Amino acid sequence: MSPAGCSHVNGYKVDNWKQNLRVIYQCFVWSGTAETRRRKAKSCICHMCGAHLNRLHSCLYCVFFGCFTKKHIHEHAKNKRHNLAIDLLYGGIYCFVCQDYVYDKDMEQIAKEEQRKAWKLQAFETRPSRLYSLESTGIGEKYTTWEPTKRELELLRHNPKRRKITTNCTIGLRGLINLGNTCFMNCIVQALTHTPLLRDFFLSDRHKCEMQSNSCLVCEMSQLFQEFYSGHRSPHIPFRLLHLVWTHARHLAGYEQQDAHEFLIAALDVLHRHCKGDTIHDNGKKANNPNHCNCIIDQIFTGGLQSDVTCQVCHGVSTTIDPFWDISLDLPGSSTPFWPLSPGGDGSTVNGESHLSGSTTLTDCLRRFTRPEHLGSSAKIKCGGCHSYQESTKQLTMKKLPIVACFHLKRFEHSAKLRRKITTYVSFPLELDMTPFMASSKESRMNGQYQQTVDVLNNDNKYSLFAVVNHQGTLESGHYTSFIRQHKDQWFKCDDAIITKASIKDVLDSEGYLLFYHKQFLEYE
Amino acid sequence: MSKDSQMRAAINQKLIETGERERLKELLRAKLVECGWKDQLKAHCKDVIKEKGLEHVTVEDLVTEVTPKGRALVPDSVKKELLHRIRAFLAQHATL
Repeated sequence: MSPAGCSHVNGYKVDNWKQNLRVIYQCFVWSGTAETRRRKAKSCICHMCGAHLNRLHSCLYCVFFGCFTKKHIHEHAKNKRHNLAIDLLYGGIYCFVCQDYVYDKDMEQIAKEEQRKAWKLQAFETRPSRLYSLESTGIGEKYTTWEPTKRELELLRHNPKRRKITTNCTIGLRGLINLGNTCFMNCIVQALTHTPLLRDFFLSDRHKCEMQSNSCLVCEMSQLFQEFYSGHRSPHIPFRLLHLVWTHARHLAGYEQQDAHEFLIAALDVLHRHCKGDTIHDNGKKANNPNHCNCIIDQIFTGGLQSDVTCQVCHGVSTTIDPFWDISLDLPGSSTPFWPLSPGGDGSTVNGESHLSGSTTLTDCLRRFTRPEHLGSSAKIKCGGCHSYQESTKQLTMKKLPIVACFHLKRFEHSAKLRRKITTYVSFPLELDMTPFMASSKESRMNGQYQQTVDVLNNDNKYSLFAVVNHQGTLESGHYTSFIRQHKDQWFKCDDAIITKASIKDVLDSEGYLLFYHKQFLEYE
Repeated sequence: MSKDSQMRAAINQKLIETGERERLKELLRAKLVECGWKDQLKAHCKDVIKEKGLEHVTVEDLVTEVTPKGRALVPDSVKKELLHRIRAFLAQHATL
């Protein structure tokens, strides 16, 4: 089975063999056009028994199709001494003398090219059926597996050390030294280093730095990922990261305890700004527009929040869509009115949260977040329809969901009256379905279509929990810790430099301050 | 040919002509990768090759060994979805 093929193939390689082989591929193996498909449909049946199944093969020397399973093609090969046949399903070349499939470099090359051609032809044909509107059909290039280049082979030979990832390995887990009330930074770093897409981006070296100075936060993140996945088990000291954060986000500088949520937003903002070199260039133009940035931070974290303001008089709706990186949710017990919604209502049953004697759930908070709110008479909006100031209702829904959704439970109250921490327990699920909170769901509800059954085939709004940041203590003195998920179902508690194994129950029973969810299924845009 | 296999052949023809067969194949491929079936079978193939020895094993050996396991390991959800798509296709081309 050498890549040079068998010697019997050489008997075939005479005259115009390349063109003949191409025709066979185009007509009978990978038919790209409607015409070749029709011909294939009609003619690809066994010349002996008429079946179209049974691993049909075509003789390479004459026009004969025969079943492989029923040995019809073998008979033909023996009788006519035609030693080569091609598998019509996968395009492999079979040699009857060697009694196995053979891999000739030239023939493989032709096969690859023909397959790519047919694929391209097919991808651009129109799809008439509306039944397939949910599928992404824009597949321009067929997926091919990675083959190393000469340079890469060289690098692999010079660096023989290999790391094997098993289901129990703890690579990626590392403690972080507290540099003086920096636990707020440590737990966000833990959450970010365990965001799968971010990890993949940095470990595959996708950041091309365009900053002249040494103060690029993205480069520092890249270094951080290298430290985390190096396999070292001793805690890491993130002094350079801290320094860069102080440089770029002055309001977070100093040794006082800061808010982890504020740090998250500031960090994402700086990373987004420093990612300019990595934005995908459209037609050679640089994407400097902050609204259409395509950096990795935007790709992962940015969602679209739709705000609909409905005029109570003319019922005209004015819609705006704003980008967001996180969703801040009010909690019961805060000074803003929290209407206790009936338990088990729309949404909670989908997400299977526990309603222990009326405890609040994350979906309760989301329902409150997306409920229509009457803006009182003191907050009249100028209506574009009736051209006057009228009372209106405002409603928020999700227009576009980010790949990673971060929920911020507003536990720290800083109102004029008081400053306190709300410690109400909010239960949150391991798996979250955001469908009830989408702008599209609201539209179908308004059009009278009630989505009673959960659409099993539409997986686009399903999320999995992968990190939780918790705050213990009071507003004056407290401590941040985080839970992060490895390998789909293993959880670890990160308390600065100390990493311990945690159970799912530990995670779900915790108070919850920042909740990080990751989309379960990723689709092409 | 029995009426059943005639019907099969006719459906197959229609699937190939409209290009639906290729689309279904790609859908199936994606689903089987997603649910880990491809990795499971790949591991099984490696075991078979180790058993028979790299120099002596043929594609036929692999096909014989791996096919029954491969058929058994396909998840029901994948079968359901494919059936659903094929039925939808047939409903659309009701002239058969």
